[in-house]
Amino acid sequence: MNCLDYRRILLAGEGESEAMRTHRLGCAACADTHRDHFAFEAELRAAMEVPVPNGLESRLARRSATPFDPARRRWLAAASVGVLAAGAGLYVWRGRDDSMAMACIAFVMKDEAKSVMMGAMPREEALRMLAETLPLQRVERIGRVQHIVPCPFGEGTAYHVILMVPQDKVTLLVMPDTPMPRRGRATQHGMYASVVPAGRGSVGVVGSSAAVVDSVVGAIRA
Amino acid sequence: MTFDEAVRAHARELYRFAFWLARDRHLAEDVVQEALLRGLRAFPSPHDGTAVKPWLFTIVRNDFYRTRGGAPALESLDDVHAELADPRANLFGLELRDALGVLPAGLGERLALQVLGGFSCAEIASMLETTEGAVMTRLNRARQALRRLVEPARARDRKGAQP
Repeated sequence: MNCLDYRRILLAGEGESEAMRTHRLGCAACADTHRDHFAFEAELRAAMEVPVPNGLESRLARRSATPFDPARRRWLAAASVGVLAAGAGLYVWRGRDDSMAMACIAFVMKDEAKSVMMGAMPREEALRMLAETLPLQRVERIGRVQHIVPCPFGEGTAYHVILMVPQDKVTLLVMPDTPMPRRGRATQHGMYASVVPAGRGSVGVVGSSAAVVDSVVGAIRA
Repeated sequence: MTFDEAVRAHARELYRFAFWLARDRHLAEDVVQEALLRGLRAFPSPHDGTAVKPWLFTIVRNDFYRTRGGAPALESLDDVHAELADPRANLFGLELRDALGVLPAGLGERLALQVLGGFSCAEIASMLETTEGAVMTRLNRARQALRRLVEPARARDRKGAQP
């Protein structure tokens, strides 16, 4: 190794190899370069380490991470939704669009991203709030819950759930205070929505495939 | 390692990396946030052999350039000198952090990956889909450029410190 090689590698920021070290120990000029380089590197690192906003880690983790165990019962989800989907798709999506189902599609189009950015609610709270309408355990048997948070919806509040089923992503809007006398459907912007009675309230299911929406509805009502 | 653990372990490095991409504190957090939300679905399984840290840096980088108009073109090494012809750089001696802000985006990105991410030239080359030699040359040039940019200020400081 010569001085040129030594300095080229050093200034590229690579660690000092044994060959470089041997050269430095026998070369006063490169020993000076080495000292100067490490002083500069310390300054460079300090300059690049811009202050990090307080609470960044927990804020990012809270917003990004699913509050639920992602591995839980995936096989069961795959099996149940797969079987249901096979029998679904026979529903005919025709007739007058239901206004509540239309509102569910509008929510996904306009407000879903905003809701995701709000972060997820704690699982314990979700268990409690959904218990009388659509128990969370039942949702978790259908697919992997990726996000859940309360959102203003219509005249009241809905619990916005993003659910990954084997075929697709679906959105659930669990509305504990919005009763529905019967099922309503709508299709718009390439999306399908179905709203069904559940407990004292109702649940809206939105997805990009009629068969998947029907199969999830079937699983909810089962 | 779960996604949550990975985010907590690398959040600070990712934020700083995003800062040197975006050069804006608020935008940096948004960039990391959006990238992680998108990355959540594709988070590598512990069994598939993907190293989590370079994967996280790569999704932040890709997401930044995807949503903000593409990666900077830096094909010729002559561009390094051309782009450094910033009027501020010629007129004033800059502090090191200011000088980093004057570096072309492609050089700042490589430095951030190395200094903040701790990646080797070979790892950076793999992440950026280029050669190790090209990364080494650019990092070398970046350091030389930074030294040139801060030298006038240092010379002034040294002069001012003389009795």
